[in-house]
Amino acid sequence: MTASTVFAEPVAPAAPRPGRRVRRRRENLAGYVFLSPWLLGLLGITAVPMLISLYLSFTDYSPLISLGDAEWVGLDNYRRMFTADQSYWHSVTVTITFALVAVPLKLAAALGVAMLLNRTMRGISVFRGLFYLPSLLGGSVALAIVWVSMFNRDGAFNSFLALFGIEGLPWVSDPDWALYTLILLAIWQFGAPMVIFLAGLKQVPVELYEAASVDGASAWRKFVHITLPMLSPVIFFNLVLETINGFQGFTSAFVLSNGTGGPVDSTLMYTLNLYIKGFSELEMGYASAMAWVFLIVIGAITVVLFTTGRFWVHYSDNEER
Amino acid sequence: MEPITRGNTPAQRTTRRRLLAAALTVPLLLGAAACGGDDKSGGASDKVELSVFWWGAEKRAELTEQALALYTQKNPNVTFKKTWQGNQGYFDKLATLTAGGNAPDIFQIDDNYISEYAGRGVTLDLTPYTESGKLDVSKFPESLRKYGEVDGKLAGVAMGENTQGLVYNKTLLAKHNLPEPKTGMSWDEFITWAAGVSKTAKLPGTQDASAVYQALWVFLRQNGKDLYAGKELGFDEADMTKWFTLWKDARAKGATPTPDVIHEGNASDVSKQLIVTGKAGTSWVWTNQMPELKKNTEAELGLMAYPGDPSVQWARASLYFSAFRGSKHKDTAVDVINFLANDPEAAKILGTDRGLPPNLDIRKQVASTVTDPNMKQTIAVQDELGAKFGPNPPTVPPKGHSKVRSELVRVAEEVVYGRQTPAQAAAAYVAAAKAAIGAS
Repeated sequence: MTASTVFAEPVAPAAPRPGRRVRRRRENLAGYVFLSPWLLGLLGITAVPMLISLYLSFTDYSPLISLGDAEWVGLDNYRRMFTADQSYWHSVTVTITFALVAVPLKLAAALGVAMLLNRTMRGISVFRGLFYLPSLLGGSVALAIVWVSMFNRDGAFNSFLALFGIEGLPWVSDPDWALYTLILLAIWQFGAPMVIFLAGLKQVPVELYEAASVDGASAWRKFVHITLPMLSPVIFFNLVLETINGFQGFTSAFVLSNGTGGPVDSTLMYTLNLYIKGFSELEMGYASAMAWVFLIVIGAITVVLFTTGRFWVHYSDNEER
Repeated sequence: MEPITRGNTPAQRTTRRRLLAAALTVPLLLGAAACGGDDKSGGASDKVELSVFWWGAEKRAELTEQALALYTQKNPNVTFKKTWQGNQGYFDKLATLTAGGNAPDIFQIDDNYISEYAGRGVTLDLTPYTESGKLDVSKFPESLRKYGEVDGKLAGVAMGENTQGLVYNKTLLAKHNLPEPKTGMSWDEFITWAAGVSKTAKLPGTQDASAVYQALWVFLRQNGKDLYAGKELGFDEADMTKWFTLWKDARAKGATPTPDVIHEGNASDVSKQLIVTGKAGTSWVWTNQMPELKKNTEAELGLMAYPGDPSVQWARASLYFSAFRGSKHKDTAVDVINFLANDPEAAKILGTDRGLPPNLDIRKQVASTVTDPNMKQTIAVQDELGAKFGPNPPTVPPKGHSKVRSELVRVAEEVVYGRQTPAQAAAAYVAAAKAAIGAS
């Protein structure tokens, strides 16, 4: 509930209009009518397929047969996932590593750049645009391809290292490093959280900094005692979103490994493993079970984040309104 | 334009109603469009449009489109909806289309998945058509016909014949006065030769074949084993240990590239083979891939059998065309497949792009008229090897074959990167391969 106040801020509540009940009902109807494209989409494209996949997760189902022929196997898929499938646990480890490293660093980069760009100077909006650009290219396949060629043995990155006499590694083809090139790619796309941080920074009252300066506080203390607490709702928002995003990383791993999760499974992200199980190995029942466990785990992580958020997220609504 | 206010004059009411109506209609239309996708059976019943789906490079697309156009020319009521794409992702797409009940009427498939698709009843059983004479496979070599049979039913018509081919860089060898490798040399001789190339030419002599399933297959057959014995594995841990050790020693001798380059070369794309990227002196391919390989490199290429006894190699159906069991025009689809396989003019267009033509009469004719030098090379080598092929060619691989292949890449790379010993990898591979084909 507390968080919703943050999220809802940009939308100005419509002023209630006096009206008769009939008119209100008609307005509601009109509202639903205008919503209907979205509602139909939600039902047809999201809700119904989700329910079907829940059902499939308890079956042995190949996409080559009709839905009706899916064979009910109870909890077998889940049992196999937790007890017998090594690749499953491997992909869990890879995904957690990816999220644990990429999310904090991406947020730190976003905040750092946002603070640098939070000033008035000529052409600042150009800089903001430039820093935001990589995340517009977002999950694009083209970008991942460029990344792979940059971090090849004879890629641009190693040519750069060679200027300093350092002999680089074949980063994307080395099982010890391939995942970290993906992490770097994720961090580089910090534009979205950066823009949100920037908006958050603009909300911090200047008086607080002025007061601190009068008291002789250093820049670091101002950052720790003013910026961070005042920004905590925004940090929280970004943390939740980026964590969810981080766990769902797929495109770059798919492109880097030609859809295999290689070299030697080092980039076998959870979603990529799920895709391979469902579409290459045609075990859609098992893949559905994986998807549901994934959904529940991400949900649980989000709940945990919200619970801990109570202890460190500071909302200043009361003072402002 | 005036803003719409909450007035109640008739004009304003109409505007609002119209808007409401529009808002209601849009989703309805969308819904209708979504339902109407498949309804093309109406109209004149003799007009038939068949969907055809295949993987391959541009050259194949060009040839296939020409051959299909020829069919339309002869049967003006039949037209085609052609879709093609690269190898990667083809089967993901095909599975998705099938799951949605929209499998193409005619689709290309290979031994990776034919057992799976036939076992699930996606492919049309072509046996009755061969019996009625509507589909003629009588001119096919028996091994090719058999290679399309899954559980006694003809699931696909072989569209080409190929066999394992080791392709080597002639230009490189000539430049350094190195001898060319020869069909029939033993694995050890071959690796020694490759190590010599590495030393003299300063380029790794050969791609490491430990992750190449068709090379493993040949090796196993030379040792009296096989990749499969029916629906079980045809090899054990000791065989795999031998295989992984062979390549570990080859790496120690400097015959192969560094692990990251080996990994790059393990991608299935023709254009990523080390022979064309210039990162090794030989690559492990199929004989029909010669023209495509040649297109990607300046070097002159030689082609031979894999090392060891070449008689264990076999005439393999490089790929098939299958018809969808749920197709609305099954008979026409079969007729088109028959045309592509047996019509002399169509065969002339298709050449050896998918492998040697399956129909032996036509193969002779194509061999005498083909002009592409790389296709000529394919035919010459395949003919030379074909004369040596022994009895008992393998039958079509069981369901799970594609996973058996991908697991080999993963496990072999564990050894290549030095993370597992050959013995560890052998144990891991046997377990993984067994699980993949559902064997005990």
